Amino acid sequence: MFQVKRDQMVGIVTVILGIVVFAMIRDYPVPFTIEYPGPKAMPGLAAFGFVVCGLGIFLQSTFSKKEQKLFLVKEGWVRVGIVFLVLSAYVFLMKYLGFLIMTPIVCYVLSTLFSKGWKSATKGRILFSVLFTLFVYFLYTKAFSLPMPDPVWM
Amino acid sequence: MEQYLPFVFSNLFNGYNLVLTLAGTIIGIIFGAIPGLSGSLAMMLFMPLTYHMALGPGVMFLISLWVGGCSGAFIGSVLLGIPGSPSSVATVFDGYPMAKKGQASHALAIGMVASFIGTFFSAILGALLAQSIAAIAFKLGPWEYFSLCMVAITMVIAISKGDMCKGLTSACIGLLFASVGFSPIDAQERFVFGNMYLMSGLSLTVVLISIFGISRIALEYGRGFDKLPDVDDSSLKGFGLHWLEIFEQGVNIIRSFLIGLVIGFLPGMGAGLSNLVAYSTCKNHSKRAGEFGTGVPDGIWASEVSNNAAIGGAMIPMVSLGIPGDTSTALLIGALSIQGLEMGPMVFRNSGNLVYMMFAAVAFDAILVLLIQMASKRWFPYILKVPYHYMYPALLVISLVSAYVESGSLYKCGMMIVFAIIGLLMLFAGLPSAPMMLAFILGPTLESNMLKGFQSSDNGIATFFTRPVSCCFLVVAIGCIFSPVLRMLFQRRREVADEACD
Repeated sequence: MFQVKRDQMVGIVTVILGIVVFAMIRDYPVPFTIEYPGPKAMPGLAAFGFVVCGLGIFLQSTFSKKEQKLFLVKEGWVRVGIVFLVLSAYVFLMKYLGFLIMTPIVCYVLSTLFSKGWKSATKGRILFSVLFTLFVYFLYTKAFSLPMPDPVWM
Repeated sequence: MEQYLPFVFSNLFNGYNLVLTLAGTIIGIIFGAIPGLSGSLAMMLFMPLTYHMALGPGVMFLISLWVGGCSGAFIGSVLLGIPGSPSSVATVFDGYPMAKKGQASHALAIGMVASFIGTFFSAILGALLAQSIAAIAFKLGPWEYFSLCMVAITMVIAISKGDMCKGLTSACIGLLFASVGFSPIDAQERFVFGNMYLMSGLSLTVVLISIFGISRIALEYGRGFDKLPDVDDSSLKGFGLHWLEIFEQGVNIIRSFLIGLVIGFLPGMGAGLSNLVAYSTCKNHSKRAGEFGTGVPDGIWASEVSNNAAIGGAMIPMVSLGIPGDTSTALLIGALSIQGLEMGPMVFRNSGNLVYMMFAAVAFDAILVLLIQMASKRWFPYILKVPYHYMYPALLVISLVSAYVESGSLYKCGMMIVFAIIGLLMLFAGLPSAPMMLAFILGPTLESNMLKGFQSSDNGIATFFTRPVSCCFLVVAIGCIFSPVLRMLFQRRREVADEACD
């Protein structure tokens, strides 16, 4: 069965990206001319590069006999997905609960996730999460007078 | 230059600035020493803090992170056999074998003194040369600036790992990111989608930290963290270096220093390349060439002097032309422009005092780094033993906080997560990040000079080729793009010739 190589996929996506960019800049009122390329020039150059390089990547991969290394195993992708989920939840909930509540929770969750397979005491992780949050909070708010997100009720 | 000395000294020895410099230097050394982190990453993470500082302390803080990071990179190379950053790859070749033979103290002392020599003298030379180069730069018009930006981007593509198509694709991504917001001259809204946060363009902090920081940490977790290194700290007593050795290495030091300075000066290249070139040159000139790789001090001297000399070398084009010599100077240019200070030949006329303060800060930091490293040599192994499950959550939180601090809005934190996913996809696709970053930073300069060039001439694109300096730069840029093909052709011809000889 014909199997699509990773670089072939990358090449196709790059070409599509180039076409999408071309379509998006088509309606700009200042025209692209030889005398003055205007605002279409730079994104147009990028789009042209995407199409040409995308084709190059696709063809190179098609004619290459090299085996591509596995990027990540399935469990690895799941782990990466979890990190992004935790970070997204952190950003979303910080809007409502503020920095001082959300940060120790996220630090604890992440340090627990990252410590899998390593020797690490729960007490140590809790202590790290609380102390690190307080350190960052006081460094930014007191030493540099920068505001941190507050909970909605404040 | 003398008229700026009172300003320079009052800034260098101001209590607040001293505390910031000390903190920046220590953080830089730690980031430099830990494999996977770097002084550039430290600069990215802490850059938003400087937006709320005055220009002087902000610049000094960023420079201390950079110098500390570049100097600290040899610690991981010597004690672990893993370079703290690409600038110390060649230090591993002889530094680690020396540590294994029980000469860790000697190897670390060489690293410290060599780093000091490279940084300190390159800063002095940079301060002396930058203004002369800026005087030449006054004669350059938008055509030359456009071509120079093209050279910088294509040079990075030419030396980026992997194939040319991927390097170019990465640069195109950078150009696309740089296009977001209002275009220069015509004020055309591009890729804004009615979102007010995108109108002023993409934030440097958001793009760089997410692509270089968050996505890589997530990927490391996905792949599973490596085992924490075992460090033999039994041979870390005493300073470990006899001063006579410095004089014995005189020729090696001067040669490596010049290599570092020149490579640092070239746009897009820097310490990552200079240490390897200096190491191989040292090996080729040595009577002990056969022993290299088994623990010869000459190799550490060459690598560490050259990578640190690249600091001063990279600052010259940054200050006089506004063109970054490496990743860190690209970040400095970005941070300074946010503060309203545009690098380039005019900077000597408008803010000469700040320029000389920057060079003085580098030289001062070199001394500070040496003192800190001498005092803390025994603790080096502990830097390398920080568990990942404490270090990485802290870095992730600081990354997101940086985005919030910059804008006072959580929207940019969300954008950071989106760009981290883009960074991960780039890693999946095997696209190198350096061309993207340089194209993103140089994009606005490239575009505005290109448009100005077209507006100021009647010959359209031909003017870029009829002006001699611009033409030379463009020829170099085209040469860089086709360099892999040319290299392949030469190699094939050589192979054919070798076969014919056989």
